Amino acid sequence: MDKLRLDHIMGQVTKPVRYMGNEYNMVVKDPSQVSIRFAFAFPDVYEVGMSHLGMKILYHQLNERDDTYCERVFAPWVDMEEKMRQEDIPLFALETKSPVSNFDIVGFTLQYEMSYTNILNMLDLAGIPLLTKERGEDHPFVLVGGPCAYNVEPLADFVDLVALGEGEELTEELLDLYGEWKDSGESRNAFLERSAGIPGIYVPSFYDVSYLEDGRVSEIIPNNSAVPKRVAKRIVRDMDSVYFPERIIVPFMDIVHDRIMLELFRGCTRGCRFCQAGMIYRPIRERSPEKLLELAEKLVRSTGYEEMSLSSLSSSDYPGLEQLVRQLMSRFEEDRVALSLPSLRLDSFEKEFIEEMQKVRKTGLTFAPEAGSQRLRDVINKGVTEEDLVKTVSDSFASGWNSVKLYFMIGLPTETEEDLKGIADLAKLVKDCYYQTDKEKRQKGLKITISASSFVPKPFTPFQWEPQDTMEQLREKQQYLRSALRIKNVDYNWHDSEVSYMEAVFARGDRRLGQVLLSAWQNGARFDGWTEHFNWDAWKKAFEDNNLQPEFYAYRRRKKDEVFPWDHIDTGVSKASFLWMEWQKAQKAETTPDCRLNCTGCGIQRLGEGLCQ
Amino acid sequence: MRVLLEYTREERVKYISHLDLMRSMQRAIRRAGIPIAYSQGFNPHPVMAFTSALSVGVTSEREYADIVLTESMSIAVLKEQLNHALPKGITLREAIVIDEKTPSLMSLVERADYELRVDLLDKDQTRQAEIDWNKAIEAYENTAEIWIEKKSKKRVSTVNLKDGVWDIRIDEENPSLVHLEMKLGNKGSVKPDSVIHAILKLSEQLPNPEAEDLSDLRVSINRTGLYFQRNGKWITPLALKKG
Repeated sequence: MDKLRLDHIMGQVTKPVRYMGNEYNMVVKDPSQVSIRFAFAFPDVYEVGMSHLGMKILYHQLNERDDTYCERVFAPWVDMEEKMRQEDIPLFALETKSPVSNFDIVGFTLQYEMSYTNILNMLDLAGIPLLTKERGEDHPFVLVGGPCAYNVEPLADFVDLVALGEGEELTEELLDLYGEWKDSGESRNAFLERSAGIPGIYVPSFYDVSYLEDGRVSEIIPNNSAVPKRVAKRIVRDMDSVYFPERIIVPFMDIVHDRIMLELFRGCTRGCRFCQAGMIYRPIRERSPEKLLELAEKLVRSTGYEEMSLSSLSSSDYPGLEQLVRQLMSRFEEDRVALSLPSLRLDSFEKEFIEEMQKVRKTGLTFAPEAGSQRLRDVINKGVTEEDLVKTVSDSFASGWNSVKLYFMIGLPTETEEDLKGIADLAKLVKDCYYQTDKEKRQKGLKITISASSFVPKPFTPFQWEPQDTMEQLREKQQYLRSALRIKNVDYNWHDSEVSYMEAVFARGDRRLGQVLLSAWQNGARFDGWTEHFNWDAWKKAFEDNNLQPEFYAYRRRKKDEVFPWDHIDTGVSKASFLWMEWQKAQKAETTPDCRLNCTGCGIQRLGEGLCQ
Repeated sequence: MRVLLEYTREERVKYISHLDLMRSMQRAIRRAGIPIAYSQGFNPHPVMAFTSALSVGVTSEREYADIVLTESMSIAVLKEQLNHALPKGITLREAIVIDEKTPSLMSLVERADYELRVDLLDKDQTRQAEIDWNKAIEAYENTAEIWIEKKSKKRVSTVNLKDGVWDIRIDEENPSLVHLEMKLGNKGSVKPDSVIHAILKLSEQLPNPEAEDLSDLRVSINRTGLYFQRNGKWITPLALKKG
């Protein structure tokens, strides 16, 4: 790498600190002293990627190994990409500025569908052939993991290996194997075959997909006798003994989540029917309060961070949360570390607790009722009531909060105008709660933000059989809310329906979409998740050129026994006996209780005895 | 106890912004366990002040920050602990105790010195730019007023560049090294790269005469010190040492 040339272009782009590295706690090793060079790639800009907890964990964990140097790679922003292409600078890793093509394994994390074109762009910038079949013995292996890896089919042509489920144990096993393989001098294909023997590793090229005439999948069968018919995800059993970093990189620049993230537990017992995370991360596994306090202590010391968030899918469900928060507060009050709970549920959020939390610093209040009416909240199994909301926001206003953000979705299955009206009614109700709060107690300057995203049916959820609302329907609903929410002190945010549409297509996509993805990228699509860069024409043309209809993926109601493109992946949750049954109950607005109270028989226990605590 | 810190910003971290630097210094102080004071009020923040912002991409041998501690501590211990807690590339050179009543550094400092090197960057090789600095400086001296556009976030204003410069000269030993002494702290302050651009343009030495900035060139700028006047002499902030 010509470091002078790189330095020169860094002087000409916005936020060059994105490409600089050298942050506090960055791991420094001599690449010539390791046998495995692993590039952890995040297909978005630095400030987004560095906010991701999974990257922090795996980066530091892999660097614990003497035989491995794990470095970070992010998508260069458009101005940087332009300069890199002009000056022939290949994609590089932050730590050593080495070209990514020199690495043994390039691991991308798939956090959202709309980052897929960035993956192709990054491979291209790295000079790595995009298609797996075009890669030779000297090219790195391309590995992917993360939530979108559960239906990786649209990327099947581009990735060599897929890691399903939690990466801590799986990646170690994969690297052990890689080390052995590298010494053995065996072929690239031999490594893929041996990898497929690791539970949780899926090699797409070892499976053939056939289609019916109408485009539905007919069957997915292995073309290699060494691989299983279905690949089950990996689950880390013990959250106290699994690796968690005691020091993490402290970025210079302001990143999206610039704080310590203390992971309370994995999984969620609520069973919200729209929520893919709630289904694919089962079962619930908690860290003990002792372990959390120990980690918090070490991380505060090693980073100097002034803020800590308790993270999980539903942090207020952590048993003994109040006690934990009190302990953390009293422990770190003197150090002025502010605590925040990002994913709060209304029903378990107590007033005293709110006051406890704002002792050090106020952080924003957000709630997610998700739907405007009780009926629709029952359909999606979001067990939150209007009374919960009223009580919590009233308490918050009385404790000095003046801004509240409420998250909703539009386009949920069975939604009617009545449900949309319910969103506006809730906004008004929150406003009333504010004005009913004692003038002495409340802060001036009320601000209510209503954020309504468009529902995207996701695989492995009870709504996976359902169509998404059409773009026209979504726009009409947004228009309706825009006028219904023209209320003083209330702001309304919505998402572009084209982006939600593409997200729906790729979420439930099949292998044929790989061609569309490639064409869209060739047509200039990248950073599709960034409104200012989403290029609708590039996508429309890509579908036309490849003779595929996006409607087929997004707008089609599936039959009960349709073979889905992701049916050979086993998340543990049963398709027929749990997800389908949940969908039937949803249509009758019947709720399913929290599985902490009573096992709902989702099937996860098939993946291991005694998995559920 | 009020303490003045003198530190560097080296090549490996030269792309951090002023805000990044302030945040990094705060966190390093927290990691070092230095008992920094916090402001009162709704959103307390550590009591610390910095001198004029250093542009992104510029290195510095001497930057200053001024912090207030809640209890006194040994300066030797502070230096050791803070250096240990700072990211590599930011090195604490010196720490001194200053009088509590010392005015803000920002208001004191009047001069920033820089050394500059300019290279041409070709597609296939890097070579030293053949710039005749004598000619460039001569052009500067023979022009009474050099008006340039200065962009701020809000508006574009026109300033006389010469009002922002104390002195400009070539290094006595190294003819490709230029020393610039810039004025700080008034409205007329200009950036070193604007000076380079202006004098290369005046002496007709820009590789691309139409270029509005120096992106065709590789410019290395290093700040060597900050100064203010006392009794007709230029002194560094370290002269504020108490007692």
